[in-house]
Amino acid sequence: MDLLGGLAYGLGVTLAPANLLACFAGVFVGTLIGVLPGIGPVATMSLLLPVTYAMSPTASIILMAGVYYGAMYGGSTTSILVNIPGEAASVVTCLDGYQMARQGRAGPALGMAAIASFIAGTLSVLGIMLLAPPLTKAALRFGPPEIFGLLLLGFTMVTYLTAGSKLKAVAMALLGMLLGTIGLDPITASPRFTYGSLTLADGLGLVPIIMGLFGISEVLLNIERGVEQEVFDTRIKGLLPSREDWKRSAAPIARGSLLGFFLGILPGIGAIIPTFISYALERRLSKHPERFGTGMIEGVAAPEAANNAATGGSMIPLLTLGIAPNVVMAVLLSAFLIHGVQPGPLLIREHPEIFWGVIASMYVGNAMLLVLNLPLIGLWVQLLRVPYGILFPLILMFCVIGVYSESGNVWDIVVMLAFGGLGYLMRKFGYEPAPMVLAFVLGRMAEESIRQALLMSRGSFDILLTRPLATTFLALAFAVMVVPLVLPSVKRALRSVPLEQGEG
Amino acid sequence: MRRRELAAAAVLLAFGLWALTQARGLRFGTVAAPGPGFFPLCLAGALCLAGIGLFVQARRTAPGDVTAPAAGVRRFAVAGTLGALLIYALVLEQLGFLLATFALLVFFFKALQRQSWLVVVGGSLATALLSWLVFKIWLGVNLPGGLLRF
Repeated sequence: MDLLGGLAYGLGVTLAPANLLACFAGVFVGTLIGVLPGIGPVATMSLLLPVTYAMSPTASIILMAGVYYGAMYGGSTTSILVNIPGEAASVVTCLDGYQMARQGRAGPALGMAAIASFIAGTLSVLGIMLLAPPLTKAALRFGPPEIFGLLLLGFTMVTYLTAGSKLKAVAMALLGMLLGTIGLDPITASPRFTYGSLTLADGLGLVPIIMGLFGISEVLLNIERGVEQEVFDTRIKGLLPSREDWKRSAAPIARGSLLGFFLGILPGIGAIIPTFISYALERRLSKHPERFGTGMIEGVAAPEAANNAATGGSMIPLLTLGIAPNVVMAVLLSAFLIHGVQPGPLLIREHPEIFWGVIASMYVGNAMLLVLNLPLIGLWVQLLRVPYGILFPLILMFCVIGVYSESGNVWDIVVMLAFGGLGYLMRKFGYEPAPMVLAFVLGRMAEESIRQALLMSRGSFDILLTRPLATTFLALAFAVMVVPLVLPSVKRALRSVPLEQGEG
Repeated sequence: MRRRELAAAAVLLAFGLWALTQARGLRFGTVAAPGPGFFPLCLAGALCLAGIGLFVQARRTAPGDVTAPAAGVRRFAVAGTLGALLIYALVLEQLGFLLATFALLVFFFKALQRQSWLVVVGGSLATALLSWLVFKIWLGVNLPGGLLRF
């Protein structure tokens, strides 16, 4: 199937009523939780997993993807109006967006955020369309050594890109992988760390862990901190940016989109880091770097473009390799698996309706989001006036319902609460949950691939160094570790990148 | 700050050591044909090393860097929230979703928010009923009926 044929076919799939409804529900819920601080795409997508049981695989994935990129739109609204990021990828938008709102320019800030998101979202869908099919062909040649090399690269990136202690991130990744070994051994199916318990033989569930680490612990931190929301009380008028705004934003949007898309493809990056890098880039390129942080529209346009483009980019490893490059994609991966579909190089051939349907749905969803976020902005602003005291019991209740309904097992609620408490302590002590969750998901794959690789080579680790692709991945992983040590400027740049915290 | 860092490192190290003893009970196999214990043992060993590294790092930081601890009341609220949820999980299947959720919401709205009784009871009842309707009846999600089986 050529590109245009594929896209036309995908549009046909997306426009089927059930899929169109799923797409709308996804972007609507995404905007909603994007606007609300304290609950983000990761927790929401896990929550929705059980709801998708009754849906077709295509509709489920369309819905889930919609939540993710929808949240990127909604997050900016809260950043601009309340100076609290609606979700973590909109942290940077607070800097200039809130200042614009204080100067009476909330309208253009919100408008530009939505338009930048739309342009970037559309460009990144184009990018997926162009890149995914050739990458799929390349991925068919991947064997266990290549997969292991790629996973190692992912682990290195996710640990070395956290701003806090690298050693802490490494420890969390190891802990996550260890927790992932609970259950049946993937190759011989013999039980490990189960202590005779049937529940443990199934392993720990991803959903309770994610809901605990990203949902419950976030609420606990907010309860302790006491969230004070002060919605910027101004009539929002004139959402359309002026000609001058457009002139200033065009190039930042283009750069933000490219940066976000390509960074998003890399394992371990997610949607948050590109926003910081693109903001830093714009400040460096600007003739007036000192005015950033005082309400520059470039500071809204570039990061909002970057986070949307990154959501598209991060779909590529999942769709072509079946590897989740970040926590959000890990949830999406489990949505695929629940429906008995294995994402990866064979997806495009075996399930073209999912592959092209999801891509086309992202075009349609981005258009829906523009409508949801521009004319209907007033609705979301009202939502921000709901006090946190009412919101947090609801969030907790949804977490409980989500986890229980996934398995019908009370034990999973207990696991969720345990990880909620653990996540709360981890953040207090400066340990990041993201490397742990990603390692928990990918650990099983890493174990399988290294054990198979060793079986292939009869126990020689040379197999990782004699196959060009595997060696390339290992070399890149090594470079990620060494380059910041050798080049201090890179190290400084990485240090200004914040923690991948609270992506839930 | 330093003591907290040391404590966290010690906990990680202890967990790593414990995992090491547990992983030793699994068949390691050989490097040419790794068994079920191969990967966990490597991980546990690496976790121990990381724990030791963190401990050393923490010892090198200056002592006495004290951060203000959270206010007592707030910390109580955190513990209360977790405790209430734990009790909720334990009684959920006996009481059923409606009753248990109603009680949980009453606790949250009254104990942690101090709203008036009318708001608390009315709001909790409405929320529990509405979520039952949406999740159980509309979305067909599996929620326990408990005492009020219908």
